Amino acid sequence: MKLSVYSLKKVLFDGDAESVNCQTTSGEITILNNHRPLISGLKKGTIEIIDKEKKEHYIPVSAGFLEVSSGSRIKLIVEA
Amino acid sequence: MESLQNIKRRAKSVKNIGQITKAMELVAATKMRRSQEIALASRPYAFASLDFLANLARLHQNYGGQARLGDIEIPPLLQKREIRKTALVLVTSDKGLAGSFNSAVIRDFEKFLKQEKTLSPNPSTLNPVFISVGQKAANYLQKRFTLAHKFLRAGDFTTIEEVKPIAELLVSGYLEKKWDSVIVFSTHFRSALRQEPLRRVALPVDFESIKKTAEEIIPQTGRFSEFKQSSVISHQSSVDYLIEPSPEAVLNELVPHLVTMQIYHLILEANASEHAARRLAMKNASDNADDLGSKLNLEYNKSRQASITREIIEITSGVESLR
Repeated sequence: MKLSVYSLKKVLFDGDAESVNCQTTSGEITILNNHRPLISGLKKGTIEIIDKEKKEHYIPVSAGFLEVSSGSRIKLIVEA
Repeated sequence: MESLQNIKRRAKSVKNIGQITKAMELVAATKMRRSQEIALASRPYAFASLDFLANLARLHQNYGGQARLGDIEIPPLLQKREIRKTALVLVTSDKGLAGSFNSAVIRDFEKFLKQEKTLSPNPSTLNPVFISVGQKAANYLQKRFTLAHKFLRAGDFTTIEEVKPIAELLVSGYLEKKWDSVIVFSTHFRSALRQEPLRRVALPVDFESIKKTAEEIIPQTGRFSEFKQSSVISHQSSVDYLIEPSPEAVLNELVPHLVTMQIYHLILEANASEHAARRLAMKNASDNADDLGSKLNLEYNKSRQASITREIIEITSGVESLR
């Protein structure tokens, strides 16, 4: 799945990923491939991304939004 | 003809000033580039969040199978209401020596006030509240009007932390009905050589207006203009989104972010314009200093030559008379 994480200052992540774990306003979720379209808000916490090479990336956020659109395209806009 | 010493002194001070303006020109040029880069870095965010808003707006209409907006409560920031009071935000620089940068914004601002006056003879309809960003705007507004709020040090490259208080003030004032509309006066960065004053309605939030701001961060010519084509707002058919916890909640969260982002972009653009204007002003100044310097140099040489000639004449005539 294609994942982009944007903050106002810069693009924090842009590329293919295996899974994303984040704290949404209604609870912690992990998004894998072919997730159904979803829009949600993010809570303060850490986004955990596992990319194609099984490498882990951690991005701390204080707030933000999550959008999963059809075709496994994920966009996160976050506030660092 | 001036004395040699005088000319020498003048030439020296001209040269010094020329050096200073040259340095300022270079500094301003680098700063301009930096602020453009910063502005560009935030563009993907801007487009992503606009995408969000577009999707949510579409869902608004589709939710519950009813194409009526009335079913869902629109956040007040998106609602237009009768305008009784307007907050006018004037964005200028903190420091001077930037050519016509500040005066252009202020002139546009005055034009707007005049226009409003002629449009509505009853002065109470506009009811402006004045807010300044930057020292120059504060100075100007304090002299003429009562300044409600002032923000300093937004200059150079603004950061989100610096913009937040401004955006928060605008949003909370709007929600508390201190004003019903916010108009921002700032500068649009067309290219490194051309900037023009810009008026933009920041509140109530208008999709088109935010989109325009995000798109216009790209200059029309010169460096970075190649990004122009890459407008990325998708127009996919409405997908069946699951929205957690609810569209209203997400929208309520999202809209203040959009306002912050728009103000951030406007100020960044003003920053880039300020540096561009300063660079141009300083370039003119150092060119002038160069001109003046060479003129003075010429004058100095002529004057030196004249005094030499005079001395020779004196000597030869002295010798002549002794014979």
